[in-house]
Amino acid sequence: MNQYDVIVIGAGNGGLAAAATLAEKGKSVILFEKHNIPGGCGSSFCRGRFEFEIALHQLSHMGTKENPGQLRKQFARYGIEDEIDWIQIKELYRVNFPDGTGISLPSDRKECEDFLCKEFPSEAESIRKYYDTVYKFCEESADFAAKSAGSTEEPGAIKKAIMKAGFPKKYPTLANYALKSTQEVLDEFFKNPKLKLALSAYWCFMGMPPTRFPFAILAKCTNFYLETKPFYLCGTSMMMNQAIMEAAQRMGGVVKLNCGVKRIVLENGKAVGVIDENGVEYRAKKIISNISPLATYGNLLEPKEVPQSAREYLKPYTVGISAITCFIGLDCTPEEIGFHTSFTLNYESLDANKDFADAYKLLPENDPLVATCYTVDDPSVSPKGTSIITAGTLKYGTEWEKLTPEQYYEMKYEAGRRIVARLEKMYPGITEHIEEMEVATPLTHMRYLGHPGGAIYGYEQDLMQSVFFFPSESKIPNLEFASGWVNACGFGPNYTYADTVASKVAKEV
Amino acid sequence: MAKNIKETLLGTLVHGEEVMENIRVMRNVSLDKICEEDVAKSANALHKKELELVVSNVIDTGKNAKIIRFSSKDGYLPPFEAGQYINIFTTIEGVRTSRPYSISSSPRQRGYYEITVAGIPDGFVSSYLIENAKIGDTFTANGPAGVFRHQPVFHSKKSLFLAGGSGVTPFMSMTREILEASLDRDIVMLYGCRNPQVALFHEELSAYTKKYPNFKYQLIVSDDVEGWTGEKGFMNGELIYRLVPDFIERTTYICGPQVMNDFCKKELQVLGVPEKKIRREMFGTRRDIQNEPGWPKELNGSEVFNLKVGDKVIPAKSSESILVALERAGVRVNVCCRSGECSLCRVKLVSGNVFLAKGMLRRYADEKYGYIHSCKAYPISDVEIML
Repeated sequence: MNQYDVIVIGAGNGGLAAAATLAEKGKSVILFEKHNIPGGCGSSFCRGRFEFEIALHQLSHMGTKENPGQLRKQFARYGIEDEIDWIQIKELYRVNFPDGTGISLPSDRKECEDFLCKEFPSEAESIRKYYDTVYKFCEESADFAAKSAGSTEEPGAIKKAIMKAGFPKKYPTLANYALKSTQEVLDEFFKNPKLKLALSAYWCFMGMPPTRFPFAILAKCTNFYLETKPFYLCGTSMMMNQAIMEAAQRMGGVVKLNCGVKRIVLENGKAVGVIDENGVEYRAKKIISNISPLATYGNLLEPKEVPQSAREYLKPYTVGISAITCFIGLDCTPEEIGFHTSFTLNYESLDANKDFADAYKLLPENDPLVATCYTVDDPSVSPKGTSIITAGTLKYGTEWEKLTPEQYYEMKYEAGRRIVARLEKMYPGITEHIEEMEVATPLTHMRYLGHPGGAIYGYEQDLMQSVFFFPSESKIPNLEFASGWVNACGFGPNYTYADTVASKVAKEV
Repeated sequence: MAKNIKETLLGTLVHGEEVMENIRVMRNVSLDKICEEDVAKSANALHKKELELVVSNVIDTGKNAKIIRFSSKDGYLPPFEAGQYINIFTTIEGVRTSRPYSISSSPRQRGYYEITVAGIPDGFVSSYLIENAKIGDTFTANGPAGVFRHQPVFHSKKSLFLAGGSGVTPFMSMTREILEASLDRDIVMLYGCRNPQVALFHEELSAYTKKYPNFKYQLIVSDDVEGWTGEKGFMNGELIYRLVPDFIERTTYICGPQVMNDFCKKELQVLGVPEKKIRREMFGTRRDIQNEPGWPKELNGSEVFNLKVGDKVIPAKSSESILVALERAGVRVNVCCRSGECSLCRVKLVSGNVFLAKGMLRRYADEKYGYIHSCKAYPISDVEIML
């Protein structure tokens, strides 16, 4: 009998964590993945002497062994915390400016504040006030989340009126800043454009320029990376995801690789099972989809089965950004070309919003460039005397989808050439050291992720589509979503959100 | 309608009403975004999961090799990069298997993909194709795939092609593209063969070298052949140094039998050519696996072990890969390069011992958790695997 408590579609970060949590809670669960490996974005590939990380830059929510964060605790429950060699990243990031100067931020709040005050003495007071605001915002936000957790009942009119009057008094920082953009808040605090760029770098983790990037997300990123520290691990994110898959199997879960889901089976409008790509039917009380809502509704159901409410619900949401990434293996050490901070954000001008507008064009122009050298924090990531750099720009898939197949390879290598030229300007001599290099375009991401637009962060994470407005609801009974499409994107948020969804589902089956 | 509590509280935030109004507007002006079209259809035009191919022509080279041209059943063949291969599936004597073949036609025309199948003694698939393939036959294939190609961002415009035997095929695609499209590239090609009679495309390459100043071609013959006045011997460092004085400026591409491939790489390294300038096509695994360094002395290749997969126990010969044993038993495995690179045929080794042939590009996590590429893994005891 192909009967399970829960079926999970897709072994991305969210799907894997959902399956592991359900198995941990003693539920029978089966996880389907169309690729030959688990992980989705969180995996790796090999070329020559190198194994390249595909997506992970800095893992959040880990914390140290002594002071564990939410994710470390989750991994401990799965029994995999000690299977992995975690690497604490020394600095938060480095921002490089067009004049050749740059700022590297330490991963300790006090050091970070002191350093910035020294660099920007005329704004020292604002810098202190800013960090206080960021921390206050996160405290209020956590307090409100804790108080409202579990209260699903709609309060009566009187209570509502009291809450309405009381909220801004009790949570003044939240009320003031929760729906402001990063740009608006930074403009309120600071004058120096370099300082603003130094503080706003996390926008590139969500693919929204500062004018559209919610300050709420920036504040949280700033807070949790300082408090639970950025982490990486030995063996790329593939190691972490393979570990979760092994854990899920160890705890009784079934994982089917090389086996995609073709259809979701509905009965009386409710999800009751799936049919896999070989035509085999599986039944379950609940289904968790780790793939995009658009592919779930559009490609796994007949058009007439898709509830009108789902169509209405998803209307305001826009498919987000993709990326062009160069995966580069060098036959020299990072020091030889002048790479000292693992994660760097590199600007062509001091106007991030203007430069970001080039993301809508086909090829990299003045787009802010993200370059990560994994060897800085983990010299064992590639053979001695070599290093690994991934460098790229965020790009919308639209222009790439317009190319004819004939134009594709030429454009792909032209994009690679431009990114390498940008690197050469900052790290002279780098081109001569390239031993392996692959270029991934929005169409590459589309091919491997199966995401519309080749989106890497799901929907656009702006003020209207994230924070309070994630499209997390399912419009089909017994179907749930767990992915970066329906919640904050990123490894840490995906794992922890899927854990929350799976824990809730476990109580219902 | 009265606002719910979420809307009520959001209304108290700075910009709260404004953002909610924007969302209402978006909801009213936006189109339905759910459609039944595959969300990844643009990527499918470049990489189809499966190609349905029809043989459009078969040309006997008269050199124990046949050129087979494939067109597409649905009229569309995806673009590819010169040097890439397709993996062709076929069922012979009830066994479904596949073989990767480099495309030898130019990527500038996609009316057909051309491959060249050279006869190999006891070659299971090559013999079948040479004897049986005829116009109108249909095959499924995956690909085009592979990373043996000119990567213009960091490869030199000056190339050295080192071809051995039927390893000439990807170079035909590269050469035809460069010469026919007048690309700004400069090629020297050294082609090693046992004797001139089996040198595939020798006439075409000889004609090119006369016609194009940016293409130099030289055949190197290893057998003692009466009347042969050209270059003799193996493609060693001395010969490369003498025939290609500017070799150090060139990116060198090697394709041929594994022994030749390894030999040429070593010779280039002795000449001081760095790793980044040596690109190699993985050309399957040597057929005499029991002669590969590291093979257990006590085994001679004829042993048959039990291979357990799920509830099935199947026989597996030590000199045949686990992938082949699975195919013989009719177990479907995802597969593409059959050379250890692509990892599609990855399986988990649950128990037992395997010999891992060289050339397997394995992920760190796979090594930790016991995953092997079944095309490069040979059973040397009873073995259990998980698909």
